[in-house]
Amino acid sequence: MSTAIEVEHLTRRFGDFTAVNDVSFTVGTGEIFGYLGANGAGKSTTIRMLCGLLKPTGGHARVAGHDVSEEPERVKAGIGYMSQRFSLYLDLTVRANLEFFASAYGAHGRELATRIGEMLERMQLGAIQDEVTGSLPGGLQQRVALASAVLHRPRIVFLDEPTAGVDPVQRRSFWALIRELAAGGTTVFVTTHYMDEAEYCARIGIMVDGRLVALDTPEGLKRTHAPGRVLEVRGPNLAHALDALRGEPGVLDVSRFGSGATVRVDPERLTAETLGHWLRARGVDPLELEESAPTLDDVFLALTAGAQRGED
Amino acid sequence: MHPLVVQYRAVVVKEVRQTVRDKRVMALLTIAPLMQLFVLGFAVNFDVRHVPTAVVDRDNTSESRDYARTLLAGDTLDLKAEVHDERTAQELLERGEASVALVFPQEFQEDVLRGTGAQVQALVDGSDPVRSGVAVDAVARHAAQRAARLMQTDAVARGELPIRPPVELVPRVLYNPELSTAVYVVPGIAAMLLLVVTTIIMAMGLARERESGTLEQLQVTPLKPGILMAGKVTPFVIIGLVDVGLALSVGAWVFHVPLRGNLGIVALATLLYLLSTLGVGLLIATLSRTQQQAFVGGFLFLLPAVLLSGVMTPIHAMPDWLAWVTYFNPVRYYVEVLRGTLLKSASLGDLWRQVVLLGVFGTLVISLASRRFRKTSA
Repeated sequence: MSTAIEVEHLTRRFGDFTAVNDVSFTVGTGEIFGYLGANGAGKSTTIRMLCGLLKPTGGHARVAGHDVSEEPERVKAGIGYMSQRFSLYLDLTVRANLEFFASAYGAHGRELATRIGEMLERMQLGAIQDEVTGSLPGGLQQRVALASAVLHRPRIVFLDEPTAGVDPVQRRSFWALIRELAAGGTTVFVTTHYMDEAEYCARIGIMVDGRLVALDTPEGLKRTHAPGRVLEVRGPNLAHALDALRGEPGVLDVSRFGSGATVRVDPERLTAETLGHWLRARGVDPLELEESAPTLDDVFLALTAGAQRGED
Repeated sequence: MHPLVVQYRAVVVKEVRQTVRDKRVMALLTIAPLMQLFVLGFAVNFDVRHVPTAVVDRDNTSESRDYARTLLAGDTLDLKAEVHDERTAQELLERGEASVALVFPQEFQEDVLRGTGAQVQALVDGSDPVRSGVAVDAVARHAAQRAARLMQTDAVARGELPIRPPVELVPRVLYNPELSTAVYVVPGIAAMLLLVVTTIIMAMGLARERESGTLEQLQVTPLKPGILMAGKVTPFVIIGLVDVGLALSVGAWVFHVPLRGNLGIVALATLLYLLSTLGVGLLIATLSRTQQQAFVGGFLFLLPAVLLSGVMTPIHAMPDWLAWVTYFNPVRYYVEVLRGTLLKSASLGDLWRQVVLLGVFGTLVISLASRRFRKTSA
């Protein structure tokens, strides 16, 4: 697999604050690469550097074969970018938006018309091409934004939280479009904080406070950072007992929420049944006790727990 | 087609589409300038006529009545009331019902006939300096004429030859013989409108792109900042030229502003002037984060630019240090070109300094704006 994005020790400082701290990774051609992190973890700053919008203060990045600080213009010609704000001209029609962005990349005449025709069909936007963009619901605006980001057939697209504020049905169909793009050979670099979306990615990088703390396939991340099984416990008056659970043999991690907790356990040493006994022995009775496989949520919680405890 | 041409055309088409779609901006560009031209053209009027006048004639003789009648015959002063004492006249002045009061003392006719120096008092409300100045002027001129005539009749009565005054002034007003304020003010208003419209629209247009995130989207395209700026400016240069044409046509038809000179010079100066006004708009946009900031910033620039241009008040009436500041104001030069060509049919030979300075300012401002724009967008 050839390389689409190559990042080495990439760093960006704003005064004393280090937004992106010594980050290195590579993304292969046609790969869907997910970039996860809390708000302010450095996701958008990384994307902005990779798109040539922001100069790195340290390290290197090659995107579509060109160095982002030395040849930002060449990089720009080979990539597409869609921000979470869907940056479209809301006062223009869908077609006028597509025409403008296609021409900004130099397309004109018959080629322009053909590309727009194809894109309208592929994104199922034909029926609304003459509507004013601002009058459309979020899900459609999102598709128009994706259409205008890939109209010039870039080799790599950067999607910065493309599904923020869009309903689940629209999110699902949007991801179908993204997978279609990748199947056609386009590299997709996408940030999100929806963990269910992250499962669609071939590989995931997780940012915490400007550092890339983990990078693997979703399965690999779960194996490394959230091994074992997950037990969900719910019920009244569990607080004391759950606090006491930390450090018991077989308990890997306890994440408390409202009226219960997620307990990650080593299935060899602790099962749902034994946990139930253990709780009842302490005089509390869990209403619910379910066992499941760990999700990326658990990975994310495990990786960010330290940082968040520090903040609180 | 060259990619730069494709990109430039795309920006122009986009700007035109956005402008045409926005009814408020369209109104701001077309109807508002005309409306303001009408309102300001009629409202800004330094012609002083029909000043209400009270007469206190304590003499009430043929001499005093004739004096008052002839003075009030012109259209500067109008008789408002005849009252019997000065106190009543002063009350009229205080209430603003009269601006001038003429007071004839009891012995007026006798003093005239005896030749002992008759006196007429004029009380003038000085709160409006322009108006009171003109009124004092009219009263004084009338007194001088009357005195000269009386001396002549006296001489004839004594059997001598009529006396002619040794020096006589024969004024002839050139370029604006009727001394109409509109003829002087309309070119200034045209310059001002162009400034307001283009600066504000340019500043807000770019600030809107920044606010809505489309500017960032443009920055990831290969579109160069220079092309983007050129494309953004083009439609407004054309609209600006049309606005000037409209303003001058209305000025000619409604306010009888002459169009004497070479309109080619006007077009050239307008083009160079627009570089400055649009450039300032872009500069303001690079300094603002939001449309609101751009709007306020625009006005911070516009007010002094208009006041220090000679549109409203003559530059030679300003204190020296302030008059010196006007040399750095492109509006000043543009107004000079407009007045020079339209009223005096001045040639490029007379106005080359102004035209060159407009060009220098335009180039400076536009390049400064593009440099800042490139910096803030990098």
